[in-house]
Amino acid sequence: MSNILLARMGEITLKGLNRGSFEIQLKSNLKYRLKKFGDLKIYQTQSRIWIEPKDESNPYFATESDAKEIMKAVTQVFGIVSVSLARKFEGGFDEVVENAKAYVTELLANNPDYKTFKVDSKRGNKAFPMNSPEICAELGYQILENFPQLTVNVKKPDFILNVEIRDYNYIYSGKMMAHRGLPVGTSGKGMLLLSGGIDSPVAGFMMASRGMPLDAVYFHSYPYTSEQAMDKVKDLAKIVAGFSGRMTLHVVNFTQIQLDMYKNSPQDMLTITMRRVMFQIAERLAEKNNCKCLITGESLGQVASQTLEAIQATNAVCKMPVLRPLIGMDKQATCDISRQIGAFETSILPYEDCCTIFVAKHPKTHPHPEDVIEAEKNLDIEAMVEAGVNGTEDIIIEAFD
Amino acid sequence: MIYFDNSATTFPSDRVRSVITEYLNDEVSGNPGSLHTLGVKADKLYNECRANIAKLLGASSDEILFTSCATESANTAIRGYVSRNKRSGNKIISTKTEHKATLECLEYLKAQGCEIVYLPVDGRGKPDLSVLEEELSGGDTALLCFTMVNNETGAVLPLSEIVELRNRVSRNTKIYLDAVQALGKIGIDLHKTGVDMCSFSGHKIHSVKGNGILYIKSGVNVDPLILGGGQQKGLRSGTQSLVLAKAFEEALSEACEDIEEANKVASGINDYLREELKARKAVILSPDDAIPFVLNVSFSSFESETMLHCLEMYEVYVSTVSACSSKAKKVSYVLLECGVDRKIASNAVRLSFSRYNTMEEAREFIKILDEIYDKYLIIH
Repeated sequence: MSNILLARMGEITLKGLNRGSFEIQLKSNLKYRLKKFGDLKIYQTQSRIWIEPKDESNPYFATESDAKEIMKAVTQVFGIVSVSLARKFEGGFDEVVENAKAYVTELLANNPDYKTFKVDSKRGNKAFPMNSPEICAELGYQILENFPQLTVNVKKPDFILNVEIRDYNYIYSGKMMAHRGLPVGTSGKGMLLLSGGIDSPVAGFMMASRGMPLDAVYFHSYPYTSEQAMDKVKDLAKIVAGFSGRMTLHVVNFTQIQLDMYKNSPQDMLTITMRRVMFQIAERLAEKNNCKCLITGESLGQVASQTLEAIQATNAVCKMPVLRPLIGMDKQATCDISRQIGAFETSILPYEDCCTIFVAKHPKTHPHPEDVIEAEKNLDIEAMVEAGVNGTEDIIIEAFD
Repeated sequence: MIYFDNSATTFPSDRVRSVITEYLNDEVSGNPGSLHTLGVKADKLYNECRANIAKLLGASSDEILFTSCATESANTAIRGYVSRNKRSGNKIISTKTEHKATLECLEYLKAQGCEIVYLPVDGRGKPDLSVLEEELSGGDTALLCFTMVNNETGAVLPLSEIVELRNRVSRNTKIYLDAVQALGKIGIDLHKTGVDMCSFSGHKIHSVKGNGILYIKSGVNVDPLILGGGQQKGLRSGTQSLVLAKAFEEALSEACEDIEEANKVASGINDYLREELKARKAVILSPDDAIPFVLNVSFSSFESETMLHCLEMYEVYVSTVSACSSKAKKVSYVLLECGVDRKIASNAVRLSFSRYNTMEEAREFIKILDEIYDKYLIIH
């Protein structure tokens, strides 16, 4: 008897002839994401992926609570719908009953308030002498006999005892829900504009969920923003990388560019001008790093720089598509996702926004195209973009430590 | 590197480093509680060390308690005194400009039912003594908690007036004094001050982190904070650290020897910087009669944290309580309590000196400051 993880695939199973390539990508992503959990065997039967340790003493599989960490890592791999820790063993129905009794004993020890249950079974191995309804009925009877405190409730049980009869037998109960989506790597790569806030990590998460690998770019304005602000962005990048896989964080040294802009362009247009330069630097970095789009966390009307006119003004500087997965989302909905992916607590740390020093008290919210041109007439934009791209430090961010 | 953050902590002096090395040897590393010769030797040295420290502070040996830090000293003194002397009164009088180690103890006691009275302070950081007299006359005051030198502004407490007032109006009220920032800068003779409890910290006077002192005047009783093997007369259980005690002793004796010279150096730097900074439209927030070791200054058009990071680029290290944050700006409660305008307080930076700083550093600091204004100033 040993423990094994059972992960269920989602949308991929609806794919047609190219399904195979999605599955290969998914298994490769799992292999990367689970690297730190020891030598693993990852294989697939129909719409299931099985993950088991090559070494039986692997501590991450020992008990339900030991397995929490690896299960959470599995749920972060897009393409997976849910994951369960199952007990795997050989033998006939007698062994199924014995293992089920041991399993339920442990389950009740951890959940003493469980009173009702039902058995759910699947029989892939058609040579097994009982069919699924027979297995449910007989195993249910055995459980009732051995655990007098339990009764059957098929509509709303406290727990479901799942039994699967395949080449081996499996018993498990409950599952941890994953984030669905498509395996990262099945789409082209995107360049995420990552700030220290709430929105951009969520935007990255959402695009990664559609199979998009990510690079990220951060504009650092030391000494106006502190080293802690940069550490915070690295932490956020790591959280996103937990879902998107390894990424390169491109840190642009933005201080001098901002200072030049501040000295040579009108204050009420500073935010728009700054964003236009940021987009151009990001696009240049995207081209250099094989990314085919930019991704931002913009949401229509959220702040002065996110009105339609402002978005138009910034959008005009780049040729690549700019994906804005949050554009129609309410802030609350974004915060909910941020919490779900574990980024919120980091995002709300205080260290950003000393660079608000560069933000005018009353920025133009609905700039005309001629305002934009006027604002940049004393700036050597090309030189700024060039300086930004050349003054970039690259940091590799892994999904795990 | 220019280190102007000596009120946050200091670096261990050469003498302290060598004493520590010496006292890591086997023959002086026995447990002072052990009965064998090694233990007895350690115990003897420990007691000698305590006696030396007591002498330097103007106290008796049995009035000195070794702790892990001044925060522990404050907790033991304030909470321990109130816990032990429930019938001495229910009121504690203090100010809102105290260190958090005191304020948090007071808030804790308030939740336990004590009445806490915070005296207003004036622009120079001095508590209003007429209100103090009024409050003391009402009786029921167990304890006064004050700071000898404020850590943010360097403001000095009118201690003798307070002690005189207490002696005249409410003899049984005890005085707890936080002397952390005063040690090594103002001469302290504990018996003469008239205070009942007093806390000190080693790492502010070029010892290492992890050693503090609590003076408890003989006849004053407190409950211990830490229970255990009954070391230090049961007032502070836990195996005594001879090496830390020796580090404190060395740092203290060095500080006492150098006190005049240190004041001269700090005054020179302070006077020079006040002059130069004023010429650059900075607002000096430390009162005129503050100790010369602390200079709190508000730079125009530079938020504290931005200035701190600008300075750190030049390897100049200073402190600020005010921090940037997108949600709420954190501004020094001490400065606000002293009536400083919020905008000015949010640009405040504390420069703090030690006897190891030099005039050259002060001049270099001004040069760097000019460069920062030239390069990084943003005016809206």
